[in-house]
Amino acid sequence: MFLTGASGAGKTTLLRLIFREEVPSSGQILVNGRNVASIPQRKIPYLRRTMGVVFQDFRLIARKTVFENVSYLPRILGVDLRGRKKLAYNALRRVGLAHRMSSFPPELSGGEQQRVAIARALINEPDILIADEPTGNLDPDLAREILRLFLAVNQRGTTVLLATHDREMIQRIGGRVLTLDRGQLAADREIVGSEKPELRLVDEEDPGEDGGRPLGSAGDLEDGKDDKDEEIGLDDAGEAEGALEAVEKGAGESAP
Amino acid sequence: MSFLQALRSFFRDAGVNLVRGWKVSLVAILTIAVSLFLSGVFLLASRNLAQSVERWQREARVVVYLTPQTSAADLSEWARRAGAEPWVQAVHPVDPRQAQERFRSIFPSLADLVAGGAEEPLPASLEIEVRPAARPSREQISALAAWRQAPGVTLIDDDREWLAEVQGLVAVIRGVGIVLGLVLLGAAVFTIGSVIRLAAFLHAEEISILRLVGATEFYIRGPFYAEGLLQGTLGGLFAAGGLYGAWFLVRERTGDSLVASLLAKEFLSPDQLAALVLLGTAAGLIGAITSLRGETLRSS
Repeated sequence: MFLTGASGAGKTTLLRLIFREEVPSSGQILVNGRNVASIPQRKIPYLRRTMGVVFQDFRLIARKTVFENVSYLPRILGVDLRGRKKLAYNALRRVGLAHRMSSFPPELSGGEQQRVAIARALINEPDILIADEPTGNLDPDLAREILRLFLAVNQRGTTVLLATHDREMIQRIGGRVLTLDRGQLAADREIVGSEKPELRLVDEEDPGEDGGRPLGSAGDLEDGKDDKDEEIGLDDAGEAEGALEAVEKGAGESAP
Repeated sequence: MSFLQALRSFFRDAGVNLVRGWKVSLVAILTIAVSLFLSGVFLLASRNLAQSVERWQREARVVVYLTPQTSAADLSEWARRAGAEPWVQAVHPVDPRQAQERFRSIFPSLADLVAGGAEEPLPASLEIEVRPAARPSREQISALAAWRQAPGVTLIDDDREWLAEVQGLVAVIRGVGIVLGLVLLGAAVFTIGSVIRLAAFLHAEEISILRLVGATEFYIRGPFYAEGLLQGTLGGLFAAGGLYGAWFLVRERTGDSLVASLLAKEFLSPDQLAALVLLGTAAGLIGAITSLRGETLRSS
């Protein structure tokens, strides 16, 4: 779903209202049937754990590795290091960056940084993925790559709400388009895209524009070990799934 | 995440922050250490002085000097009268001859001063041991007042009068220590608060991401509280160590001097030492809590 409108139309404000960064002065905001506007302050973190948020400026911590940037939520939920690595690996694999777990954000291109931000948003398999101008800082090719990712996420059942003022991109991709004008909903249309995008996950086989390295490269993981299968438990894909389930369960606990 | 897991995580993060920003952290730790050290010096001095006063109080005497004309019978009568008082533990009558002998044994070089002559140069006296009490009783005060007016009494020397003055001095030292300690601790709390606030600003970006992904306020603030707590505890430990070192040096340098016996005879008790360190811990925690209270962290 696209959210569009001129600058100042209220796209970002609407997104901030959805993940309760702001409180509406009146009315209600229903997310999964729940009025977000009336959620008490202490419950907001639990709401946000069901959402993924991506920004135009990536919001990655430069002094932390890709793994650390991606695994904030599992850490908050108390997932142990091994579990966190599995979750981070799975999320990064979905965006084609599993081989950059031990890199630092400044070592990555803009497109890769945005993919890391998307991996961070996806790590808990959120119900909703909110993206505020996620391609605003990227060139057209990289923007297309990121859009492909969002479409793939959407195909897996996650609602993707993408705010953009790029009308050409919307025309090309198509879908439900909400147009805002000075804080009001001006239009709610379904657009058929002119170009059918290639709907697939970017994976290690297609590491993206930077031509990623094979999984066994030295220095990939935090401790620089070559033996990745040992380090992140790739020998047991079921374990990774189990760890994901553990995070999902953890989201419902009374965590600090 | 369980509470213990969270605590472990907080202290690990706080430790990392302390090491990474060690210069700023050291300033905060030293500020609290200096304030606690100075408070500890006053505490140590007042403790030792109070113990000396307590010891002197146990040995306190009232000496009643009688006129040279006092006969042996009068001396006995005075001894009987004094012994009947409830605040008196024991009475030792000293006749002029005993007084002379005592003088000669204490001051042999001045023995000639009291030798010979028609009249006894030293008067008879009563040495009264007083029952242990923090302060002179009402009965004692009124009895001594009456004796001062009585014929046959020339002078009454009550140790408790000057001991009361020393007790007042101990109270003043303790009061100054408490006031100075509170002022310095206030400064230390402010310093720690500033360091924590600075750390929060340095981590503003990370905090915003933590909020975004669903971290609770407890999880976000926990590492900063742990950092304040660690700084305060380290400050307290430094102060305790420094205080022991200073006390040891004074003992070594001054030996059995009056200063050493009055002010540095004993070190602080384990309870007092623990209280000093805990005071540092509390100051650190209070500094962290006050620096992050309300919207401070949110606005960072």
